[in-house]
Amino acid sequence: MNRSVTAHRVRDTPVHDPLAALWHACSRDLRLAMRSKAELALIVVFFVLVMTLFPLGVSPEPKLLERIAPGIAWVAALLASLLSLPRLFATDHADGTLEQLVLAPAALPAVVAGKVLAHWMTNGLPLVLLAPLAGLQFGMSPEATITLVAGLALGTPSLSWLGAVCAALTLGTRAGSALLALLVLPLAVPILIFGAGAAEAVASGLEAGAHLSLLGAGLIVCWVFGPFATALAVRIAYE
Amino acid sequence: MTAALPPSGPLACLGMACTLGTRRLFSDLEFTVESGQWLMLTGDNGSGKSTLLRIIAGLIRPDAGAVHWQGAPRRAGDPAWNAAMLYQGHATGWKELLTARENLLQQAWLDLGPDADHPAGVQAALDRVGLGRQRDLPFLRLSAGQRRRVGLARLAFSQRPLWLLDEPNTALDTAGQALFADLLDTHLAGGGCAIVATHLEVPSQRDARVLRLQAPVRPRQAALLA
Repeated sequence: MNRSVTAHRVRDTPVHDPLAALWHACSRDLRLAMRSKAELALIVVFFVLVMTLFPLGVSPEPKLLERIAPGIAWVAALLASLLSLPRLFATDHADGTLEQLVLAPAALPAVVAGKVLAHWMTNGLPLVLLAPLAGLQFGMSPEATITLVAGLALGTPSLSWLGAVCAALTLGTRAGSALLALLVLPLAVPILIFGAGAAEAVASGLEAGAHLSLLGAGLIVCWVFGPFATALAVRIAYE
Repeated sequence: MTAALPPSGPLACLGMACTLGTRRLFSDLEFTVESGQWLMLTGDNGSGKSTLLRIIAGLIRPDAGAVHWQGAPRRAGDPAWNAAMLYQGHATGWKELLTARENLLQQAWLDLGPDADHPAGVQAALDRVGLGRQRDLPFLRLSAGQRRRVGLARLAFSQRPLWLLDEPNTALDTAGQALFADLLDTHLAGGGCAIVATHLEVPSQRDARVLRLQAPVRPRQAALLA
Protein backbone atom coordinates (compact mmCIF):
# COMPACT_ATOMS: atom_id res chain seq x y z
CA MET A 1 0.00 0.00 0.00
CA ASN A 2 2.93 2.29 0.62
CA ARG A 3 3.67 2.42 -3.08
CA SER A 4 0.40 4.23 -3.66
CA VAL A 5 0.85 6.87 -0.99
CA THR A 6 3.79 8.43 -2.85
CA ALA A 7 1.26 9.51 -5.43
CA HIS A 8 1.01 12.46 -7.73
CA ARG A 9 -0.67 15.60 -6.45
CA VAL A 10 -4.10 16.21 -7.86
CA ARG A 11 -4.57 18.96 -10.39
CA ASP A 12 -7.25 20.31 -12.71
CA THR A 13 -7.33 19.21 -16.30
CA PRO A 14 -6.42 21.97 -18.74
CA VAL A 15 -9.53 23.24 -20.51
CA HIS A 16 -9.60 21.98 -24.09
CA ASP A 17 -9.23 24.19 -27.11
CA PRO A 18 -12.62 24.27 -28.93
CA LEU A 19 -11.12 23.12 -32.24
CA ALA A 20 -9.33 20.23 -30.55
CA ALA A 21 -12.58 19.25 -28.81
CA LEU A 22 -14.42 19.41 -32.15
CA TRP A 23 -11.86 17.16 -33.78
CA HIS A 24 -11.86 14.74 -30.85
CA ALA A 25 -15.64 14.31 -30.97
CA CYS A 26 -15.59 13.99 -34.76
CA SER A 27 -12.83 11.37 -34.90
CA ARG A 28 -14.46 9.41 -32.10
CA ASP A 29 -17.77 9.19 -33.96
CA LEU A 30 -16.03 8.35 -37.24
CA ARG A 31 -14.21 5.50 -35.52
CA LEU A 32 -17.48 4.20 -34.08
CA ALA A 33 -19.12 4.46 -37.51
CA MET A 34 -16.29 2.40 -38.99
CA ARG A 35 -17.03 -0.31 -36.38
CA SER A 36 -20.62 -0.63 -37.57
CA LYS A 37 -20.29 -0.49 -41.34
CA ALA A 38 -23.69 -2.14 -41.86
CA GLU A 39 -25.33 1.05 -40.60
CA LEU A 40 -23.35 3.11 -43.10
CA ALA A 41 -24.35 0.80 -45.93
CA LEU A 42 -27.99 1.06 -44.87
CA ILE A 43 -28.16 4.75 -45.79
CA VAL A 44 -26.61 4.18 -49.21
CA VAL A 45 -28.79 1.17 -50.00
CA PHE A 46 -31.90 3.06 -48.88
CA PHE A 47 -31.08 6.02 -51.13
CA VAL A 48 -30.40 3.81 -54.16
CA LEU A 49 -33.55 1.75 -53.55
CA VAL A 50 -35.82 4.79 -53.32
CA MET A 51 -34.30 6.21 -56.49
CA THR A 52 -34.92 2.88 -58.23
CA LEU A 53 -38.49 2.49 -57.04
CA PHE A 54 -39.74 5.78 -58.51
CA PRO A 55 -39.37 4.85 -62.20
CA LEU A 56 -41.11 1.56 -61.42
CA GLY A 57 -43.95 3.25 -59.59
CA VAL A 58 -44.48 6.46 -61.61
CA SER A 59 -43.73 5.79 -65.25
CA PRO A 60 -40.69 4.78 -67.27
CA GLU A 61 -41.18 7.74 -69.63
CA PRO A 62 -37.75 9.46 -69.95
CA LYS A 63 -39.09 13.04 -70.31
CA LEU A 64 -41.16 12.81 -67.13
CA LEU A 65 -38.36 11.13 -65.16
CA GLU A 66 -35.86 13.79 -66.15
CA ARG A 67 -38.27 16.48 -64.92
CA ILE A 68 -38.97 14.92 -61.53
CA ALA A 69 -35.45 13.58 -60.91
CA PRO A 70 -34.15 16.44 -58.69
CA GLY A 71 -37.24 16.31 -56.50
CA ILE A 72 -36.93 12.55 -56.10
CA ALA A 73 -33.22 12.77 -55.29
CA TRP A 74 -33.89 15.40 -52.63
CA VAL A 75 -36.77 13.57 -51.01
CA ALA A 76 -34.70 10.38 -50.97
CA ALA A 77 -31.78 12.25 -49.39
CA LEU A 78 -34.07 13.80 -46.77
CA LEU A 79 -35.59 10.44 -45.81
CA ALA A 80 -32.19 8.73 -45.80
CA SER A 81 -30.79 11.37 -43.44
CA LEU A 82 -33.80 10.84 -41.15
CA LEU A 83 -32.92 7.16 -40.80
CA SER A 84 -29.74 7.73 -38.83
CA LEU A 85 -30.80 10.81 -36.83
CA PRO A 86 -32.20 8.99 -33.79
CA ARG A 87 -28.76 7.44 -33.24
CA LEU A 88 -26.92 10.77 -33.32
CA PHE A 89 -27.39 11.39 -29.59
CA ALA A 90 -29.66 8.60 -28.32
CA THR A 91 -27.05 5.82 -28.11
CA ASP A 92 -24.58 8.16 -26.41
CA HIS A 93 -27.34 9.23 -24.05
CA ALA A 94 -28.20 5.64 -23.19
CA ASP A 95 -24.67 4.41 -22.48
CA GLY A 96 -23.54 7.50 -20.59
CA THR A 97 -20.94 8.76 -23.04
CA LEU A 98 -22.99 11.89 -23.73
CA GLU A 99 -22.91 12.62 -19.99
CA GLN A 100 -19.12 12.44 -20.04
CA LEU A 101 -19.00 14.74 -23.08
CA VAL A 102 -21.31 17.24 -21.37
CA LEU A 103 -19.04 17.14 -18.30
CA ALA A 104 -15.81 17.38 -20.28
CA PRO A 105 -13.72 20.52 -19.77
CA ALA A 106 -14.52 21.77 -23.25
CA ALA A 107 -17.09 24.04 -24.86
CA LEU A 108 -20.15 21.86 -25.47
CA PRO A 109 -21.06 23.65 -28.75
CA ALA A 110 -17.68 22.61 -30.16
CA VAL A 111 -18.22 19.00 -29.07
CA VAL A 112 -21.66 18.76 -30.67
CA ALA A 113 -20.30 20.45 -33.81
CA GLY A 114 -17.76 17.61 -34.04
CA LYS A 115 -20.51 15.03 -33.68
CA VAL A 116 -22.65 16.69 -36.35
CA LEU A 117 -19.66 16.95 -38.69
CA ALA A 118 -19.05 13.22 -38.28
CA HIS A 119 -22.74 12.56 -38.85
CA TRP A 120 -22.64 14.52 -42.11
CA MET A 121 -19.46 12.77 -43.26
CA THR A 122 -21.03 9.35 -42.72
CA ASN A 123 -24.58 10.16 -43.86
CA GLY A 124 -24.67 13.29 -46.02
CA LEU A 125 -21.41 12.96 -47.92
CA PRO A 126 -22.18 9.46 -49.35
CA LEU A 127 -25.43 10.85 -50.78
CA VAL A 128 -23.61 13.80 -52.36
CA LEU A 129 -21.20 11.34 -53.98
CA LEU A 130 -24.06 9.10 -55.15
CA ALA A 131 -26.06 11.95 -56.69
CA PRO A 132 -24.27 11.79 -60.08
CA LEU A 133 -25.41 8.18 -60.32
CA ALA A 134 -28.97 9.37 -59.82
CA GLY A 135 -28.49 11.97 -62.54
CA LEU A 136 -27.28 9.26 -64.91
CA GLN A 137 -30.12 6.94 -63.98
CA PHE A 138 -32.78 9.55 -64.72
CA GLY A 139 -31.11 10.96 -67.84
CA MET A 140 -30.45 14.42 -66.39
CA SER A 141 -28.26 16.82 -68.34
CA PRO A 142 -24.66 17.16 -67.04
CA GLU A 143 -25.30 20.78 -65.96
CA ALA A 144 -28.39 19.82 -64.00
CA THR A 145 -26.50 16.92 -62.39
CA ILE A 146 -23.69 19.24 -61.29
CA THR A 147 -26.25 21.63 -59.81
CA LEU A 148 -27.93 18.74 -58.01
CA VAL A 149 -24.60 17.69 -56.49
CA ALA A 150 -23.77 21.28 -55.50
CA GLY A 151 -27.21 21.70 -53.97
CA LEU A 152 -26.87 18.48 -51.97
CA ALA A 153 -23.38 19.46 -50.83
CA LEU A 154 -24.76 22.76 -49.50
CA GLY A 155 -28.06 21.39 -48.22
CA THR A 156 -27.24 18.10 -46.49
CA PRO A 157 -25.09 19.70 -43.76
CA SER A 158 -28.04 21.98 -42.97
CA LEU A 159 -30.25 18.88 -42.76
CA SER A 160 -27.75 17.36 -40.32
CA TRP A 161 -27.88 20.48 -38.15
CA LEU A 162 -31.69 20.70 -38.14
CA GLY A 163 -31.75 17.02 -37.31
CA ALA A 164 -29.21 17.44 -34.51
CA VAL A 165 -31.21 20.17 -32.76
CA CYS A 166 -34.39 18.09 -32.98
CA ALA A 167 -32.61 14.85 -31.99
CA ALA A 168 -31.26 16.56 -28.88
CA LEU A 169 -34.71 17.96 -28.07
CA THR A 170 -36.32 14.51 -28.27
CA LEU A 171 -33.68 12.87 -26.04
CA GLY A 172 -35.23 10.87 -23.25
CA THR A 173 -38.76 11.02 -24.66
CA ARG A 174 -40.69 7.88 -25.47
CA ALA A 175 -41.38 7.37 -29.19
CA GLY A 176 -38.48 9.73 -29.75
CA SER A 177 -37.76 8.73 -33.35
CA ALA A 178 -41.35 9.19 -34.54
CA LEU A 179 -41.48 12.57 -32.84
CA LEU A 180 -38.14 13.41 -34.39
CA ALA A 181 -39.46 12.84 -37.92
CA LEU A 182 -42.48 15.06 -37.18
CA LEU A 183 -40.20 17.82 -35.92
CA VAL A 184 -37.57 17.69 -38.66
CA LEU A 185 -39.65 17.27 -41.81
CA PRO A 186 -41.47 20.66 -41.66
CA LEU A 187 -38.21 22.43 -40.85
CA ALA A 188 -36.50 20.78 -43.82
CA VAL A 189 -39.08 22.05 -46.32
CA PRO A 190 -37.17 25.23 -47.33
CA ILE A 191 -33.99 23.25 -47.96
CA LEU A 192 -35.93 20.78 -50.07
CA ILE A 193 -37.59 23.55 -52.12
CA PHE A 194 -34.40 25.45 -52.88
CA GLY A 195 -32.31 22.33 -53.41
CA ALA A 196 -34.67 20.70 -55.85
CA GLY A 197 -35.47 24.11 -57.35
CA ALA A 198 -31.82 24.73 -58.22
CA ALA A 199 -31.52 21.60 -60.34
CA GLU A 200 -34.95 22.14 -61.92
CA ALA A 201 -34.03 25.71 -62.84
CA VAL A 202 -30.89 24.54 -64.64
CA ALA A 203 -32.81 21.74 -66.37
CA SER A 204 -35.25 24.31 -67.79
CA GLY A 205 -32.44 26.62 -68.92
CA LEU A 206 -32.40 29.15 -66.07
CA GLU A 207 -29.70 30.21 -63.61
CA ALA A 208 -29.44 28.33 -60.30
CA GLY A 209 -27.36 31.02 -58.59
CA ALA A 210 -30.16 32.38 -56.42
CA HIS A 211 -31.20 28.96 -55.18
CA LEU A 212 -27.64 27.93 -54.36
CA SER A 213 -26.94 31.25 -52.60
CA LEU A 214 -29.97 30.72 -50.39
CA LEU A 215 -28.84 27.17 -49.58
CA GLY A 216 -25.37 28.52 -48.76
CA ALA A 217 -26.87 31.23 -46.55
CA GLY A 218 -28.90 28.56 -44.76
CA LEU A 219 -25.77 26.53 -44.24
CA ILE A 220 -23.94 29.47 -42.68
CA VAL A 221 -26.87 30.19 -40.37
CA CYS A 222 -26.90 26.52 -39.35
CA TRP A 223 -23.19 26.49 -38.55
CA VAL A 224 -23.42 29.74 -36.59
CA PHE A 225 -26.51 28.96 -34.50
CA GLY A 226 -26.65 25.17 -34.72
CA PRO A 227 -23.87 24.41 -32.21
CA PHE A 228 -25.34 26.66 -29.53
CA ALA A 229 -28.92 25.52 -30.09
CA THR A 230 -27.90 21.86 -30.03
CA ALA A 231 -25.71 22.28 -26.94
CA LEU A 232 -28.60 23.99 -25.15
CA ALA A 233 -31.00 21.21 -26.16
CA VAL A 234 -28.57 18.57 -24.87
CA ARG A 235 -28.31 20.36 -21.53
CA ILE A 236 -32.10 20.58 -21.28
CA ALA A 237 -32.29 16.84 -21.90
CA TYR A 238 -30.36 16.26 -18.68
CA GLU A 239 -32.37 18.59 -16.44
CA MET B 1 -30.14 22.36 10.82
CA THR B 2 -28.07 25.34 11.76
CA ALA B 3 -28.15 28.58 9.83
CA ALA B 4 -26.04 28.73 6.66
CA LEU B 5 -22.39 28.50 7.59
CA PRO B 6 -19.85 30.36 5.52
CA PRO B 7 -18.58 27.88 2.93
CA SER B 8 -15.33 26.24 3.89
CA GLY B 9 -13.29 23.43 2.42
CA PRO B 10 -12.88 22.77 -1.26
CA LEU B 11 -16.44 21.55 -1.65
CA ALA B 12 -19.44 22.91 0.20
CA CYS B 13 -23.12 22.24 -0.39
CA LEU B 14 -25.41 24.90 1.02
CA GLY B 15 -29.16 24.66 1.58
CA MET B 16 -29.60 21.99 -1.05
CA ALA B 17 -33.15 20.91 -1.81
CA CYS B 18 -34.54 18.71 -4.52
CA THR B 19 -38.00 17.42 -5.37
CA LEU B 20 -38.49 14.85 -8.10
CA GLY B 21 -42.12 14.72 -9.17
CA THR B 22 -44.08 14.62 -5.91
CA ARG B 23 -41.23 13.17 -3.84
CA ARG B 24 -39.14 15.54 -1.78
CA LEU B 25 -35.76 13.84 -1.79
CA PHE B 26 -34.02 16.21 0.61
CA SER B 27 -34.10 19.80 1.73
CA ASP B 28 -31.74 22.07 3.67
CA LEU B 29 -28.92 19.65 3.04
CA GLU B 30 -25.55 21.12 4.05
CA PHE B 31 -22.13 19.57 4.18
CA THR B 32 -18.51 20.27 3.33
CA VAL B 33 -15.74 17.99 2.15
CA GLU B 34 -12.16 18.96 2.93
CA SER B 35 -9.02 18.06 0.98
CA GLY B 36 -7.89 14.55 1.81
CA GLN B 37 -11.36 13.68 3.09
CA TRP B 38 -14.09 11.57 1.62
CA LEU B 39 -17.80 11.53 2.18
CA MET B 40 -19.65 8.24 2.10
CA LEU B 41 -23.16 8.73 0.81
CA THR B 42 -25.57 6.03 1.91
CA GLY B 43 -29.30 5.58 2.10
CA ASP B 44 -32.05 3.34 0.83
CA ASN B 45 -32.71 2.80 -2.85
CA GLY B 46 -34.48 5.85 -4.19
CA SER B 47 -33.36 8.11 -1.36
CA GLY B 48 -31.64 10.49 -3.79
CA LYS B 49 -27.96 9.52 -3.70
CA SER B 50 -27.55 9.52 -7.46
CA THR B 51 -29.61 12.70 -7.77
CA LEU B 52 -27.43 14.48 -5.25
CA LEU B 53 -24.29 13.45 -7.12
CA ARG B 54 -25.77 14.62 -10.41
CA ILE B 55 -26.76 17.93 -8.85
CA ILE B 56 -23.22 18.49 -7.57
CA ALA B 57 -21.79 17.52 -10.96
CA GLY B 58 -24.08 20.07 -12.59
CA LEU B 59 -26.26 17.73 -14.63
CA ILE B 60 -29.45 18.47 -12.68
CA ARG B 61 -30.58 21.81 -11.33
CA PRO B 62 -31.60 21.68 -7.65
CA ASP B 63 -34.77 23.38 -6.40
CA ALA B 64 -32.70 25.44 -4.01
CA GLY B 65 -29.15 25.67 -2.73
CA ALA B 66 -25.71 26.10 -4.15
CA VAL B 67 -22.48 24.20 -4.53
CA HIS B 68 -19.29 26.06 -3.66
CA TRP B 69 -15.97 24.89 -4.95
CA GLN B 70 -12.86 26.38 -3.35
CA GLY B 71 -14.90 29.13 -1.77
CA ALA B 72 -16.71 30.33 -4.86
CA PRO B 73 -20.08 29.20 -6.22
CA ARG B 74 -19.56 26.83 -9.10
CA ARG B 75 -21.50 27.30 -12.31
CA ALA B 76 -22.96 24.13 -13.83
CA GLY B 77 -21.41 23.45 -17.23
CA ASP B 78 -18.47 25.80 -16.67
CA PRO B 79 -15.43 24.16 -18.36
CA ALA B 80 -13.24 25.18 -15.41
CA TRP B 81 -15.57 23.33 -13.04
CA ASN B 82 -15.69 20.31 -15.33
CA ALA B 83 -11.89 20.31 -15.32
CA ALA B 84 -11.83 20.02 -11.51
CA MET B 85 -14.37 17.23 -11.13
CA LEU B 86 -14.68 13.62 -12.23
CA TYR B 87 -18.19 12.19 -12.29
CA GLN B 88 -18.85 8.53 -12.87
CA GLY B 89 -22.50 7.54 -12.83
CA HIS B 90 -24.51 4.38 -13.36
CA ALA B 91 -24.29 4.65 -17.11
CA THR B 92 -20.56 4.28 -17.16
CA GLY B 93 -19.88 5.95 -20.48
CA TRP B 94 -18.08 3.13 -22.25
CA LYS B 95 -18.78 2.18 -25.84
CA GLU B 96 -19.60 -1.48 -26.44
CA LEU B 97 -18.01 -1.43 -29.88
CA LEU B 98 -14.63 -0.17 -28.70
CA THR B 99 -12.10 -2.15 -26.70
CA ALA B 100 -11.31 -1.37 -23.07
CA ARG B 101 -8.11 0.32 -24.18
CA GLU B 102 -9.76 2.45 -26.86
CA ASN B 103 -12.50 3.49 -24.47
CA LEU B 104 -9.94 4.59 -21.91
CA LEU B 105 -7.88 6.41 -24.53
CA GLN B 106 -10.94 8.44 -25.49
CA GLN B 107 -11.63 9.24 -21.86
CA ALA B 108 -7.96 9.97 -21.12
CA TRP B 109 -7.95 12.63 -23.79
CA LEU B 110 -10.90 14.32 -22.08
CA ASP B 111 -9.57 13.73 -18.54
CA LEU B 112 -5.90 14.59 -18.90
CA GLY B 113 -5.81 17.19 -21.63
CA PRO B 114 -4.23 16.90 -25.07
CA ASP B 115 -0.59 17.09 -23.99
CA ALA B 116 -0.38 14.07 -21.69
CA ASP B 117 1.10 10.74 -22.77
CA HIS B 118 -2.20 8.86 -23.04
CA PRO B 119 -1.10 5.41 -24.29
CA ALA B 120 1.43 5.00 -21.47
CA GLY B 121 -0.98 6.28 -18.83
CA VAL B 122 -3.78 4.03 -20.04
CA GLN B 123 -1.49 1.01 -20.21
CA ALA B 124 -0.27 1.58 -16.65
CA ALA B 125 -3.87 2.02 -15.46
CA LEU B 126 -5.00 -1.19 -17.19
CA ASP B 127 -2.13 -3.13 -15.63
CA ARG B 128 -2.95 -1.69 -12.22
CA VAL B 129 -6.57 -2.85 -12.34
CA GLY B 130 -5.62 -6.24 -13.75
CA LEU B 131 -7.05 -5.84 -17.25
CA GLY B 132 -3.70 -5.92 -19.06
CA ARG B 133 -4.64 -9.12 -20.89
CA GLN B 134 -8.21 -8.08 -21.72
CA ARG B 135 -7.31 -4.65 -23.06
CA ASP B 136 -8.02 -5.48 -26.71
CA LEU B 137 -11.29 -7.34 -26.16
CA PRO B 138 -14.41 -5.48 -27.30
CA PHE B 139 -16.12 -3.99 -24.31
CA LEU B 140 -19.29 -6.05 -24.75
CA ARG B 141 -17.30 -9.24 -24.10
CA LEU B 142 -16.18 -8.12 -20.64
CA SER B 143 -17.96 -9.35 -17.52
CA ALA B 144 -19.82 -7.00 -15.18
CA GLY B 145 -16.90 -6.91 -12.76
CA GLN B 146 -14.40 -6.32 -15.53
CA ARG B 147 -16.50 -3.42 -16.76
CA ARG B 148 -16.37 -1.91 -13.30
CA ARG B 149 -12.61 -2.37 -13.35
CA VAL B 150 -12.43 -0.30 -16.55
CA GLY B 151 -14.07 2.43 -14.48
CA LEU B 152 -11.39 1.93 -11.81
CA ALA B 153 -8.72 2.26 -14.51
CA ARG B 154 -10.12 5.69 -15.26
CA LEU B 155 -9.69 6.58 -11.59
CA ALA B 156 -6.12 5.28 -11.74
CA PHE B 157 -5.01 7.84 -14.31
CA SER B 158 -7.27 10.70 -13.33
CA GLN B 159 -5.71 13.66 -11.55
CA ARG B 160 -8.78 15.77 -10.98
CA PRO B 161 -9.22 16.89 -7.35
CA LEU B 162 -12.88 15.96 -6.82
CA TRP B 163 -14.35 12.53 -7.46
CA LEU B 164 -18.11 12.03 -7.60
CA LEU B 165 -18.64 8.29 -7.81
CA ASP B 166 -21.99 6.54 -7.98
CA GLU B 167 -21.63 2.98 -6.64
CA PRO B 168 -18.19 2.39 -8.12
CA ASN B 169 -17.66 -0.81 -6.15
CA THR B 170 -20.73 -2.89 -7.01
CA ALA B 171 -20.04 -6.14 -8.90
CA LEU B 172 -16.40 -6.10 -7.78
CA ASP B 173 -14.73 -9.07 -6.09
CA THR B 174 -12.84 -8.72 -2.79
CA ALA B 175 -9.61 -7.89 -4.55
CA GLY B 176 -11.49 -5.30 -6.56
CA GLN B 177 -12.89 -3.72 -3.39
CA ALA B 178 -9.37 -3.46 -1.99
CA LEU B 179 -8.14 -2.02 -5.26
CA PHE B 180 -10.84 0.64 -5.17
CA ALA B 181 -9.97 1.53 -1.59
CA ASP B 182 -6.31 1.73 -2.57
CA LEU B 183 -7.10 4.07 -5.47
CA LEU B 184 -9.22 6.20 -3.17
CA ASP B 185 -6.43 6.40 -0.58
CA THR B 186 -3.94 7.39 -3.28
CA HIS B 187 -6.28 10.11 -4.44
CA LEU B 188 -6.87 11.45 -0.92
CA ALA B 189 -3.16 11.31 -0.09
CA GLY B 190 -2.52 13.45 -3.16
CA GLY B 191 -4.78 16.15 -1.78
CA GLY B 192 -7.99 15.13 -3.51
CA CYS B 193 -11.46 14.71 -2.07
CA ALA B 194 -14.32 12.41 -2.99
CA ILE B 195 -18.01 11.77 -2.55
CA VAL B 196 -18.85 8.09 -2.96
CA ALA B 197 -22.39 6.76 -3.03
CA THR B 198 -22.24 3.16 -1.91
CA HIS B 199 -23.99 0.43 0.04
CA LEU B 200 -20.79 -1.51 0.68
CA GLU B 201 -18.01 -1.05 3.17
CA VAL B 202 -14.96 0.54 1.58
CA PRO B 203 -11.77 -0.84 3.18
CA SER B 204 -10.11 2.55 3.03
CA GLN B 205 -7.40 3.51 5.50
CA ARG B 206 -8.98 6.90 5.86
CA ASP B 207 -12.15 7.37 7.84
CA ALA B 208 -15.11 8.57 5.91
CA ARG B 209 -17.65 11.09 6.98
CA VAL B 210 -20.99 9.43 6.46
CA LEU B 211 -24.02 11.20 5.08
CA ARG B 212 -27.14 9.07 5.26
CA LEU B 213 -30.07 10.21 3.12
CA GLN B 214 -33.48 9.38 4.53
CA ALA B 215 -36.21 7.80 2.48
CA PRO B 216 -38.10 10.51 0.59
CA VAL B 217 -41.08 12.18 2.19
CA ARG B 218 -44.09 13.22 0.17
CA PRO B 219 -44.72 16.98 0.55
CA ARG B 220 -48.23 16.38 1.90
CA GLN B 221 -46.90 13.96 4.47
CA ALA B 222 -44.19 16.41 5.39
CA ALA B 223 -46.79 19.14 5.88
CA LEU B 224 -48.80 16.88 8.15
CA LEU B 225 -45.72 16.05 10.21
CA ALA B 226 -44.73 19.68 10.58
